[in-house]
Amino acid sequence: MNTAKHINREESIRSSTSHNLNILPATTYRWLKLNQLQLEIPDWDSKHSYHKEFLKNSNYDINEQNTQDIVLKKMDASLLLPNHIKASLAKKMEYGVSKEVIEECERSYNSGVFVHVGKEKTILNPIRIEYALDQDNPQVTDFNLIYAEANSQLTIIMDYSNSDNSETIHKGATQIIAKEGSEVTLVKIQRMNDKSHHFDSIFSTVDYNATVNYIQVELGSKNSVTNYKSILNEAGKADLASIYFGDGKRTIDLNYLMEHKGRRSISNIQTKGALKDTAVKTFRGTIDFQLGASKSEGAEEEYVILLDKKVKSNAIPLLLCSEDDVKGHHAASAGKVDKEKLFYMMSRGFCKEEALKMIVEASFLPTIEKIADHELRSIIQKEIHRRLMNEKL
Amino acid sequence: MDLNTNKKTMIEDLERGLYDIKDNFDYSYKTETGLTPEIILQISEQKNEPAWMTEFRLKSLQIYHELDVPPWGPDISELDINNIVTYVKPKTDLNNTWEEVPNDIKNTFTRLGIPEAEHKSLAGVGAQYDSEVVYHSIKEELVKQGVIYTDMESALREHEQIIKEYFMTCIPPRDHKFAALHGAVWSGGSFVYIPEGIHVDIPLQSYFRSNAPGAGQFEHTLIIVEKGASLHFIEGCSAPKYSVNNLHAGCVELFVKENARLRYSTIENWSKNMFNLNTKRCIVEKDGLIEWVSGSFGSKVSMLYPMSVLKGERARAEFTGVTFAGHGQVLDTGAKVIHAAPYTTSVINSKSISKDGGKAIYRGALKVAANAHHSKATISCESLMLDNKSVSDTIPALVLLNDEVDIGHEAKIGRISDDAIFYLMSRGLSETDARAMIVRGFVEPIAKELPLEYAVEMNNLIKLELEGTIG
Repeated sequence: MNTAKHINREESIRSSTSHNLNILPATTYRWLKLNQLQLEIPDWDSKHSYHKEFLKNSNYDINEQNTQDIVLKKMDASLLLPNHIKASLAKKMEYGVSKEVIEECERSYNSGVFVHVGKEKTILNPIRIEYALDQDNPQVTDFNLIYAEANSQLTIIMDYSNSDNSETIHKGATQIIAKEGSEVTLVKIQRMNDKSHHFDSIFSTVDYNATVNYIQVELGSKNSVTNYKSILNEAGKADLASIYFGDGKRTIDLNYLMEHKGRRSISNIQTKGALKDTAVKTFRGTIDFQLGASKSEGAEEEYVILLDKKVKSNAIPLLLCSEDDVKGHHAASAGKVDKEKLFYMMSRGFCKEEALKMIVEASFLPTIEKIADHELRSIIQKEIHRRLMNEKL
Repeated sequence: MDLNTNKKTMIEDLERGLYDIKDNFDYSYKTETGLTPEIILQISEQKNEPAWMTEFRLKSLQIYHELDVPPWGPDISELDINNIVTYVKPKTDLNNTWEEVPNDIKNTFTRLGIPEAEHKSLAGVGAQYDSEVVYHSIKEELVKQGVIYTDMESALREHEQIIKEYFMTCIPPRDHKFAALHGAVWSGGSFVYIPEGIHVDIPLQSYFRSNAPGAGQFEHTLIIVEKGASLHFIEGCSAPKYSVNNLHAGCVELFVKENARLRYSTIENWSKNMFNLNTKRCIVEKDGLIEWVSGSFGSKVSMLYPMSVLKGERARAEFTGVTFAGHGQVLDTGAKVIHAAPYTTSVINSKSISKDGGKAIYRGALKVAANAHHSKATISCESLMLDNKSVSDTIPALVLLNDEVDIGHEAKIGRISDDAIFYLMSRGLSETDARAMIVRGFVEPIAKELPLEYAVEMNNLIKLELEGTIG
């Protein structure tokens, strides 16, 4: 019985469909081939399931009655959502790596959580969600909904990894609604194996005086396509800090969009990465100041360290502006490790590899330090180290 | 039944395919109003062109029908693309009179303080600049050194071999739909050839050459600067050029050979009914340098992105551009650089201003090829918005295929701070003057790259454009 299931899966892996993903908000020259990512996604039927427990916090036992501070439940069609949350969901928002992938996540998810933090409540312990995909649990399709009531505070960490070396797939959609004065921090760590696929979309709505922080760590998988969109209402703040490490034949495709709708909104994108071997990376970052977003500020930066001759690095940092009283800034830079830095480190007795490793790690550190979990921080650092030094698992 | 229908469709498809492959002048897309091979043959015949050029035109026409309009960028649906022949062979008489020139253009001339006599020439009615005599003597001297400076039609007659070697090799008709259109219907333009080691000290200006009526829309500029030579070329239309046609699809092909230098300056100020879909490109050999200085003020829609292909080692490209988009204008401009050899360098400096509902877009591309190690590139874009009716977008793209590079890109957007205006007004300046002064300061890096009379004119234009922005 078990073997038959496996054979089935092997077959389904072989068929795949070409998708247009991460379409640029404002398209440009076709010869660059950067307007979207054209990628084959394996056609796995949604029968492939995930049976493992993914909620890690003992504090929030899903089976027990949740406290008044927070409601934390596994995503389920039978969930009774409060009316005001239902209403905010009903608004169909365009986001995500592609319409098809989003629809699949919202309709046929097999995991995910619903988090509802009460008014004025601060949740001290981060909620931890961990997926470790393997041969018997080859597919995670998660749909997450995070709803933070006024002046509440919450951190949620989602970690995607593999516990064996089989081809697996993750497709995910996460919606964050941060009401007045609230602060939501979402950490996503992706360290899947080099055979797997990762498609992740996040959409956040930031209300008056609210803050949404998104910390993204991209370390693994064969194809990693991620999409983040934030709608900033008046005085809303969206902060995005991401790091990526591309090695082997990895394709990393990032598409970020900060949509300033309200006055005095602030957005910040900080991306740092390193590329090794024949990795291909495309960074698309857009700050869109819409009419009415006066006194808003948006900043965007991408720095990439190129470690090998054969890497491919694409960047399109867009700045769209329909409002004059704003401050927008973007910068992108790319190059090798600073020779003088390298020379100095080597003069201090480090070998070249060791010195390189330290410089790359140092550039990642400010982002890693934002993760409020000691154990995860060291897992991330070890993983970067391993990949930099070409160590086998 | 179904099977039959399918089969039939397939056969039809096959037949059509074969028909398309054939090098047939009676193109399958042919319509009554469309651009036809007959029209092309007629143009070619009138010009008494060699057979290869006629063939080139017909081939370009075929490519034109095959290619689609770019799906990105500004909306050009207003351009009657299915009836492009109206732009090529206008029914309206081109030799319009001064009286037919729209009032706003006439007023601009008057306010610029350009004498009546020049008004007419600048408006494209006479298409002849007064200063021909001044340049005449310089020309004599250059001719002795072997410099060729002539119009494209004469060049095709007198220097056929050179033209044949270079014509549309830099911008092949297959590049995009409007390059193909240009290849089919091009007319007029300048040809410049600077022999090895010759330095032309005084800028050559294209507008001193009179163009045939109707040639202005699809003019072809071909400049070859041989080894170690140098040239500064200034492209025409220094003031609004009024035309009944509203499509401009010119081509500028520049060849900078080893160790040669070329500076190509343009102040474009087409009338505001113009679709300016111009293509400019330069191939730079070893140690060569191309400098683009570009000002875009006019036209209704512009899509203009001069491209530099750094083909030889240590080749360099510099682009300095300013774009000023006012009411009803969509100016989509920028620069493209391809680093195709090691140790190549490029610098892009772009400034854009938008006001009164204008849309200024910087669209750029930078590509570093896998073999172009030790390349360096800097891109800097600054946008100034004068009100919130306007739009300013920055769309750069960076493609790096190699690790030994040093690439930096930066863009800023913002508006004139009230503090700065207040300070200048406290020093006795009117608000208009204060604003104009700040804008002039903003574009100063470009203004100083221009010959004096152009810089003065640009400043005047800015001042005129700014008037009426405030109450």
